[in-house]
Amino acid sequence: MLKNDVLIKVDNVSKLYQMGEVTVAALKEVSLDIYQGEFIVILGPSGSGKSTLLNILGGMDLPSEGKVFMEDEDITNYNDKKLTVYRREKVGFVFQFYNLMANLTARENVELATEICKNALNIDDVLGAVGLSDRKDHFPAQLSGGEQQRVAIARAVAKNPYLLLCDEPTGALDFQTGIKILSLLKKINQDFKKTVVIITHNMPIGEMADRVIKVRSGEIIEMKVNDSPIPPERIEW
Amino acid sequence: MKKLDVRLLRMIKNSKGQFISISVMVILALTIYVSFSMVADNLYNTIYNYYDITNFGDVFVEVVRIPKAAIDHLYTIEGIEEAQGRISSDVPLRVADPNEKVRVRVVSLPKESGGINSIYTIYGGEIQEHGKTTAVLQQFFDARGMRLGDKITPYIAGREYPLDIVGVIGSPEYIYLMENEQSLLPAPEKFGVIYVTEDFAQSVFGFQGSYNEVTIKIKDEYLHDIDRIIEDIEEQLDRYGVRRSIKREDHLSHSMLMQEVDSLEVMSTAITLLFLIVAAVIINIMLSRIVKNDRMSIGVMKALGYNNFSILAHYTKFSLLIGLVGSIIGIILSIPLSGAFTNLYIYYFNIPMFEMQVYYIYIVYGILLTSIFCIISGLIGARSVLRILPADSMRPEAPKTGGRIWLEKIKPIWNRISFSWKMVIRNILRNKKRAAFLMLGIALTYGITMVPIFMSSVWGNMFMLHYGEFQTMEYNIDFTKPMNTNVIRELQQLIDVDYIEPKTEIPFELVNGWRKKVVSVIGVPKDTQFYNFTTPTGFRIDIPNSGVILAEGLANILGADIGDEILVKNFMPDIDDKYVEVKGITQQYLGINAYMNQEELNKLMEERGMVTGALLNSKDEVATKLRDIKNIGQVQSVTDMKNSFLEFMDTIIYSMGVMMLFGGILGFAIVYNVTVISISERIMEFSSLRVLGFDKKEIYKMVTRENALITFLGITIGIPLGYGLCVSMVQGLSTELYSIPVIINPNTYAITAISTIFFVIVAQLATMRKIYKLNLLDALKSRMS
Repeated sequence: MLKNDVLIKVDNVSKLYQMGEVTVAALKEVSLDIYQGEFIVILGPSGSGKSTLLNILGGMDLPSEGKVFMEDEDITNYNDKKLTVYRREKVGFVFQFYNLMANLTARENVELATEICKNALNIDDVLGAVGLSDRKDHFPAQLSGGEQQRVAIARAVAKNPYLLLCDEPTGALDFQTGIKILSLLKKINQDFKKTVVIITHNMPIGEMADRVIKVRSGEIIEMKVNDSPIPPERIEW
Repeated sequence: MKKLDVRLLRMIKNSKGQFISISVMVILALTIYVSFSMVADNLYNTIYNYYDITNFGDVFVEVVRIPKAAIDHLYTIEGIEEAQGRISSDVPLRVADPNEKVRVRVVSLPKESGGINSIYTIYGGEIQEHGKTTAVLQQFFDARGMRLGDKITPYIAGREYPLDIVGVIGSPEYIYLMENEQSLLPAPEKFGVIYVTEDFAQSVFGFQGSYNEVTIKIKDEYLHDIDRIIEDIEEQLDRYGVRRSIKREDHLSHSMLMQEVDSLEVMSTAITLLFLIVAAVIINIMLSRIVKNDRMSIGVMKALGYNNFSILAHYTKFSLLIGLVGSIIGIILSIPLSGAFTNLYIYYFNIPMFEMQVYYIYIVYGILLTSIFCIISGLIGARSVLRILPADSMRPEAPKTGGRIWLEKIKPIWNRISFSWKMVIRNILRNKKRAAFLMLGIALTYGITMVPIFMSSVWGNMFMLHYGEFQTMEYNIDFTKPMNTNVIRELQQLIDVDYIEPKTEIPFELVNGWRKKVVSVIGVPKDTQFYNFTTPTGFRIDIPNSGVILAEGLANILGADIGDEILVKNFMPDIDDKYVEVKGITQQYLGINAYMNQEELNKLMEERGMVTGALLNSKDEVATKLRDIKNIGQVQSVTDMKNSFLEFMDTIIYSMGVMMLFGGILGFAIVYNVTVISISERIMEFSSLRVLGFDKKEIYKMVTRENALITFLGITIGIPLGYGLCVSMVQGLSTELYSIPVIINPNTYAITAISTIFFVIVAQLATMRKIYKLNLLDALKSRMS
């Protein structure tokens, strides 16, 4: 990886929450570069600040201090409107609980996302890629958890974002389904050339990453480049 | 279609009960607004068109006797376009049943056709110059079931004059047919108008070459100056004994019609606003609930890059759609409805239909009004969308602080309450906003339902107070001309009388400063047994030796108070006007009169021992026995009044029912929607209860208990609210001629409460399905929207 391929640069970011009279730091002066096309796993126990970091990367939240650059543009200076455009054009989210719209079909859920994007991918191609071509007219309630998560991934990918942010994507799934979802994410990373960031507390998932970042108590405690990531099918937990 | 819109439509489909119930309110609001506004305009135009066709006069002057030459002389007054004399006199009509009392107004028609107040022939022919023919006013003709060619027999100056009915006509003066200002209700079978030739009228009434009424048309450009012209007319005609002069706007039929049109407009606005406001509040609560439940979806939308505006618009479209659906259906309904209502009015009033128009402006106003209401309520309801931060929305919402409620601190009470009631009370007190709205809604339902129930007893009360307490005679007899007191003794010889009093009733114009009013001043014996004068606060007033007692309404019109000296202007050419002191102000619900000691009244007329009628109680057949007696003008019995009152009651039952229905719809919509909202907000809570072992019935019982408690509180608030609505209704309906007593029977409160509870129960049953359908365990498993 070359330095000039930096997609996102996190520079000394802190996030403080005011809880009554106590100030809690969810992130403490975190700095981090994310490279184009990278597959990153951020590992940490709950409360470590990994979700906060993900939210800040995704333009869902703003840091209290520090800066975040997306292709040299400082997104921490963005107003609400610009942040919305940022989320719309550059980021795709995958959530632990899928968060699909219950009263839209699988295909409609994907369309909901692509309707407002300029460079959206062909929906049917993406649904095909996640293996849901024949389930696309089903409502979320008619789909299994794994299928729902695949719809969520399709929804995120079809926007054709620079960055795919996944918050515990396997957290609500059984082992087998989880592995399938991870393979899918890896495939997306390779076939669609998307930068993928996964946050999880599940250590073995780190083995498939190009780089593993460990977070604890709002700080990065370890950053490890994985020279030979293993294919997801070989992960076990 | 945009996927957000697809989602919206499916959202509506899932809450169709709410969508429909709110839409119904919007439909009603819009239908009432558009159709009533159009009816009012169409009616107004039709009436004025009719006035044009028939050349309805602008000023009507009643005189003692006026020669033709004096009428022609009126043209010297600037602004008078046309002046015309006629004879008009009320006389008894002979009918088959000797006990039935029917009166007709015999009106002369000018020799030349046309002129002012020309009649409008509905069918039949014109009256002939020679021969005894008459044209009869349609309402009277229909009410008495007459046919062309029938004979009717007015009894004029002691003689019967059989006349052939040759035509059935309408007149701009009698679109709303009432005998006089004192009549409470129209009674077309008891009072009618017949038209005869001028020659006939002049000869039978002894008015050769002269008249007792002048109808005047004023040039359009002088109409603004009508008061000045009337003064000139009165001055010029003074020596012919001006009894009174009436402007068109004070004309009985015209003013009743205008009141009808006005009340249509007032009603259309008031009901429309009420329904829209309630719909708006429900929309507001419903949308804020939907937004709250959709918190995570909103977070996802924001994460996907939807901006606040599109998300806000997404939810506001829900209410906009209610507005649009309501508007479209409302408009579709209102056009034929306004046609039907206009036709009904026109049929009722017997006027030829003018072009029925659709006034598109009301449709535009209606749509604007509903859209604005719906959009604003939608925006307010959904505004919390803006506050939802995408990052926060992914986390479940922190539980609400569930502290103790104040009632728990009062241990002696709280400890006695059972566990399930404790939950009920906690729920109510923790959702104060929702409970308050439900309470208010029930109070409003109670209030709205109370008005028609109260109104149905109003006329009865008024009747009872006027004819049972204020004046207690069974018969009120008028002579055809003033008589000597001896006539009372003669009457006692003719009929078996329990009690009899003479009365003197004379029209005067009472003047206080710049305010004036023509009324009948009634002279009664000092020890009258038939009148009970009381102050508005209920204290008895005796007839003073000198001075006058004014009816409360009259005192208001004149701005007169006790101790004021008012000018009593008579209509006799040679008698001076005199000042009289106001000695008392009495309550009089029906009509406005002034009362004096009979002897004092005679003094005003420079007479002694003069009576114009008698008041009496008798078990005798009074009407029959007095039928052919000379100089007996009219015999009015309270029983007759009661019967025409009962007939009138039948007609108001219908409008009462409509209003109750409105109250019911309102109540249903409020209770149904609030309950549905409350259930969907509490799925989690109910699910937990189910897990604890409560069954569906018990949960439903809990919700019902909450509503029952709130209903009870709502009715408690509804009672003073309903009272207030009734008072304002009464104030709105009271006219110069009658003031409505606010007497609310305990029955009214009870019936209203029963109706309200009924509406609540219906709404409650409609929500039962919702609870039984809830898959409570599913709700526990996922928190997704």
